[in-house]
Amino acid sequence: MPSPHSMKPMVTAAFHRDLVIAVLTGLLLIFPAKFMAADIAPADKLSDGDKLCLGCHGVDGLKKELAGGKVLSLHVPGDDFAKSVHGPIGCASCHAGVDLNTHSQKTKTIANSREYAISMVKVCSGCHADALKHSETSIHAKMLAGGNQSAPVCTDCHGSHAVTPKTAYDTCVGCHLAAMEGHQKWLPNAGLHLEVVSCAACHAPAAKRMVDLRLYDGAAKKWVTEQAGGPGFEKMAAVADADKNGLLDAMELRKLMAQINRDEAVQAKNLRGRIELRTEAEAHQLSDKSKAIKDCATCHQQGAEPFQNVTVSLINADGKPVRYKAQKEVLGSVLSVDSLREFYAVGGTRNALLDILLILALVAGVSVPIGHQILKRIVKSQLERDAQQAGTAKPSGRDQA
Amino acid sequence: MQKIYVHPLPVRVWHLINAAGFVLMLLTGTQIRYIGLVDLLSFRAAVNMHNWIGFVLIGNYFIWLLFYLFTDKIRVYHPELSPTKHFQASFRQLQYYGYGIFKGSPNPHQVSAYDKFNPMQSMMYQVVMFLLVPLLAVTGVLLWDVQGFYGAVDFFGGVRVVDTVHVLIYIFFVFFIFFHVYMGSLGHTPTAHYKAMFVTGYEEVEDEYAGATKQK
Repeated sequence: MPSPHSMKPMVTAAFHRDLVIAVLTGLLLIFPAKFMAADIAPADKLSDGDKLCLGCHGVDGLKKELAGGKVLSLHVPGDDFAKSVHGPIGCASCHAGVDLNTHSQKTKTIANSREYAISMVKVCSGCHADALKHSETSIHAKMLAGGNQSAPVCTDCHGSHAVTPKTAYDTCVGCHLAAMEGHQKWLPNAGLHLEVVSCAACHAPAAKRMVDLRLYDGAAKKWVTEQAGGPGFEKMAAVADADKNGLLDAMELRKLMAQINRDEAVQAKNLRGRIELRTEAEAHQLSDKSKAIKDCATCHQQGAEPFQNVTVSLINADGKPVRYKAQKEVLGSVLSVDSLREFYAVGGTRNALLDILLILALVAGVSVPIGHQILKRIVKSQLERDAQQAGTAKPSGRDQA
Repeated sequence: MQKIYVHPLPVRVWHLINAAGFVLMLLTGTQIRYIGLVDLLSFRAAVNMHNWIGFVLIGNYFIWLLFYLFTDKIRVYHPELSPTKHFQASFRQLQYYGYGIFKGSPNPHQVSAYDKFNPMQSMMYQVVMFLLVPLLAVTGVLLWDVQGFYGAVDFFGGVRVVDTVHVLIYIFFVFFIFFHVYMGSLGHTPTAHYKAMFVTGYEEVEDEYAGATKQK
């Protein structure tokens, strides 16, 4: 059963009432329902109430006819829903008020699937009020308010039933297909930027950013996920945090990485850095393109805001990140060169030792000519004095050097 | 004084492109790395300039390489094949620059068309042209397209290692540009070497030495 510790289930009195009605009505329908469910793979982890819903809605091809000959699919992929982040909270959390007595009587009028998706936004806001609040000022909300029905709402980016954590990039390019090409026109290392910087980091300019260093398995070429039964990442990080200040410094991070890689012949697990937002909700305040960040110095500068907050993380079994804070100095430290081999922002995360070397080089470069000229004057005046003395001791009219 | 033609026109043009190019690369590189402290150009302008000039210098390098590989002039870089003798001669040269030059002692090295670098110079230039510049260029190209060259970047230890190598060589060249320009002033007159390298191609040598070492 997926861990529900990061979920906020909306279990209300209405849910209980509906469940009782559903079970009683279901007992009458259970015989034909069992036959209808015969060709569906059971999503065993779901509650009985959810399985009842899937008894009809799990059927491929279940649909509602709308006005104008349009069709709204009522099919719900049960396995995908079970595996999603909403699996633990069940159907009635979002689809409250379903009365099985009247449910199949087709009394609900839906103009089109777009309107239905838009009407479901208020359901999402029941739990995700923060995200909705931020999205209200976004360019997508403005488009919608302006009458553009194809402007995305919650389910367009996050899916309706198969909601899983995914990167912003995966979400955005579903519509913004030309994003890569558009960035390549003006942004050096565009592909790298789109891989390392979350879309919202530049396109939600008012949001606060951070660096997340996520565990990656370089040998298996995939993100490391928390193994059930193994030592938890949070626990390992807490143990590595020797001074118990809640922050991993470069040395503590090095010890944590050594511990993570201790059973491997090769240090295959390393950290991949990404620029993300400090809160996921802020990612929804996407601005108009003209307001997006184009100033390189936002990141490519010593002391830049995104590099002030750093976390180390890995993905848990739910697909959500488990984080532990780290000191910002780990980004530029010599001690993290092997564990954090891939994250580097020119001008933003430079190492202070190299700055000292540069100063030494400048000092040497200037000192050599000046020193040489001083030496020349010293030697010449010494030689002149010697020659003068030799001249006064033995006046021979000899030419001076 | 006799005049010896030591810097043919292609060499002088190559050197001018290199000189201007390196100074601009150092300036734009400093602007990129030290944005916030230096404000000559915007970050993006500095990056674009750095990329363009970088590729011009890489092309210039290959012109130099082909010229020296396919002509007999390559001998100027290593006229003395015995490493021991080369090191000893370099040390004598260092002694001259550190003391002898002030006394008015003659330069232990006499310039000729096939032996235009003193031993210290030829050692230094071999290290610069066959090790440091290629490393600087290769790391620079990898940084120009980190994702495209991901395999190579990873092979060398990741982007931080590649960048550190690039920055260390940059630091060396910051020193070198001062050193090299200054050493150029230590000819028989302060401007002799500059005139030879940038304008005429001719070095002036003492008559008694010119006769002994001048080659066709």
